[in-house]
Amino acid sequence: MSKRSIVNDLYKSRKRVCTAPSSAINETSEFNDGLNGTSFSAAEIPSDTKVSLLHLKELFPLERFEGRLPVVIVKHQLYSLINDRTAVDKELNTLKLANEIKLFKLGAELDDYCIVFTKEYQDHVIKVMSELCISKNICNKFVNTVIKKYTDVCINKDTLMNEFNFTDSEITQLVKASVLTVRDVGNWWVALPNAGIFMKCFLRGRKAIVTMIRKCKYREILQTELEQRKWPKVCKLGLQYHMHEVIGADLIKCIQTTSGLLLRLKDS
Amino acid sequence: MLKFLTARESGIDSPVVLRRIESTKRAYSLELSKHRDVECVFYGGINSLDIDPVESRYLLSGTVSGTLHIHDLTNHSGEVKHTTKAVCNVSRSNTYKHKHSVETVQWYPLDTGMFLSSGTDRTLKIWDTNSMKPADEYEFSGIVYSHHMSPVATTHCLVAVGCHSSTLKLVDLKSGSATHMLKGHKKSILTVRWSPKNEYLLVSGSEDNRVLLWDVRSSKGSLMSLDQFNGQEVPTFLSACTAHSGNVNGMSFTMDGLHLVTSGTDNRIRLWNIETGRNTLVNYGKIQNETRKGLQFAVSCWCKSDLIYIPDEYCNIQVYEMFTGRKIDTLRGHLQQVNCCVFHPDYQELYSGGNDRNVLIWEPELDGSYDNYLKERSSKKQTQSRSFVSRIAATADSWSSDEET
Repeated sequence: MSKRSIVNDLYKSRKRVCTAPSSAINETSEFNDGLNGTSFSAAEIPSDTKVSLLHLKELFPLERFEGRLPVVIVKHQLYSLINDRTAVDKELNTLKLANEIKLFKLGAELDDYCIVFTKEYQDHVIKVMSELCISKNICNKFVNTVIKKYTDVCINKDTLMNEFNFTDSEITQLVKASVLTVRDVGNWWVALPNAGIFMKCFLRGRKAIVTMIRKCKYREILQTELEQRKWPKVCKLGLQYHMHEVIGADLIKCIQTTSGLLLRLKDS
Repeated sequence: MLKFLTARESGIDSPVVLRRIESTKRAYSLELSKHRDVECVFYGGINSLDIDPVESRYLLSGTVSGTLHIHDLTNHSGEVKHTTKAVCNVSRSNTYKHKHSVETVQWYPLDTGMFLSSGTDRTLKIWDTNSMKPADEYEFSGIVYSHHMSPVATTHCLVAVGCHSSTLKLVDLKSGSATHMLKGHKKSILTVRWSPKNEYLLVSGSEDNRVLLWDVRSSKGSLMSLDQFNGQEVPTFLSACTAHSGNVNGMSFTMDGLHLVTSGTDNRIRLWNIETGRNTLVNYGKIQNETRKGLQFAVSCWCKSDLIYIPDEYCNIQVYEMFTGRKIDTLRGHLQQVNCCVFHPDYQELYSGGNDRNVLIWEPELDGSYDNYLKERSSKKQTQSRSFVSRIAATADSWSSDEET
């Protein structure tokens, strides 16, 4: 945002504009989300973050993974769509506490979180557990306690044993199913099974896009040109997905030019 | 602007509103000063700057070669083009200068008759400004990274000194003792600050990734350690709640003392609420920071939404909005890494010093019309003087004399 527009806000006129009282007070207007036809009533207009999450959900190529993964969104992608990072963080926190999404720590940096919608996570966990022949008992217990009630990224032994009544052998079964991964003695991360498949594609794709830009003259390229380049078939996640992710992770600087958006590799 | 002046005049708005709006407008639009610069008397890179709190008139600077300089910031010449002159120096020939680099300088908070400097030669020197000689000197066991004296203290005269190997000492200027030690950190303390509201609250940041709050009256130890996760993510070592995931190398309170901004080598800036000690979780993004010693950054004051001016790794100064984390601007001008920034509270100007031996002045961007007026005035002066010179030049030569025929 240019400095002038910020400064002009301070000097904006204070005239109050009179609005005619709306006649349709009792009717609740329906808004159609053009993406996939879901409609929201006026009372629950989704926040910016939620709309971006739904948009990014469309970018994830589910068919390529043959049902082994649910839709995974990386938190950085939201930063590339919405300017105000603090607002994104706050809204994600409210969604997390309302148990609509689940956050998982995935990646080397302290900040790398992945977002999965709770419903899809639940289905995915049930499927994985039945494939590995883990007893239905444990599976249901995990779904009803940890997925439905617990919203944090990591969980420790006290919570599992005292609040949710898991025994040691049941915990071992959960680790075997890779819904819990060991962090420390008595501390586990709540994890996404088959996350390894996702991470492999993700790292490959990120490396591909960064190398593509690095090979350009002056290490910069117009967004439209990048979209026309050949994308290696090995990286299944797709160019758009990685572009959002790499912009939000601060590896790439976006500069508005007269011929569109220019992506420049940040000096390091 | 005129609307605000009329509102102020007629009493519709309170006086604070006009000051706040104008300060915010000026603080947001900083750029490198076109007409003023600081006289270059520096023999080495500048490590620390301070503006005197009484009149905001003198700029004190400490350099890598152990010298100290004081510049007078006011412009009495009447010209717009002005070089801020140095009024007194502790130069290289001075026998009392620091033997190695000066890390921190600070004016005595009550008047400009005294200032304190500390450095890597393990000493803290108290200087008398009139004679430019140290009135007192304290030696420590390790190099002194940072010192600070409380700007609001009336009942005590303590200087907090953060040194190498976890020593945090309180030096009492009235009695001359330097024995009160605050124990709590495990590695070198890179930065210390007193609160601008509470004269007993001290905050220290160190290489062990923690920021500790101290009440100097209590004997039990630190009040609390700031936790970046606010207790949510279960830490691996239960005793270690860290403020950053890297060394804490810069700290600054806001003017009202309610918030603390810290920067660390994990490339993050965090904003803390001092009343509760919680991380406000404002996301500033990544800001490259690999300084192994203290970093001095500036926070604006009197603005509607305060700004943080913080130097980064690539000779630039980044400007962020404090409460939303949005990046406003990048100030480019230095040729090498910037070490310190200080914000002038009354003029809304930023002074920054770096390894390239320059102190740059960043002024609010003026309207184009004032620049045009200055250009016209200077060109008028030039045409006048040019015609005068040409009259003499036409007839002057070095061998003929006017008297002879």
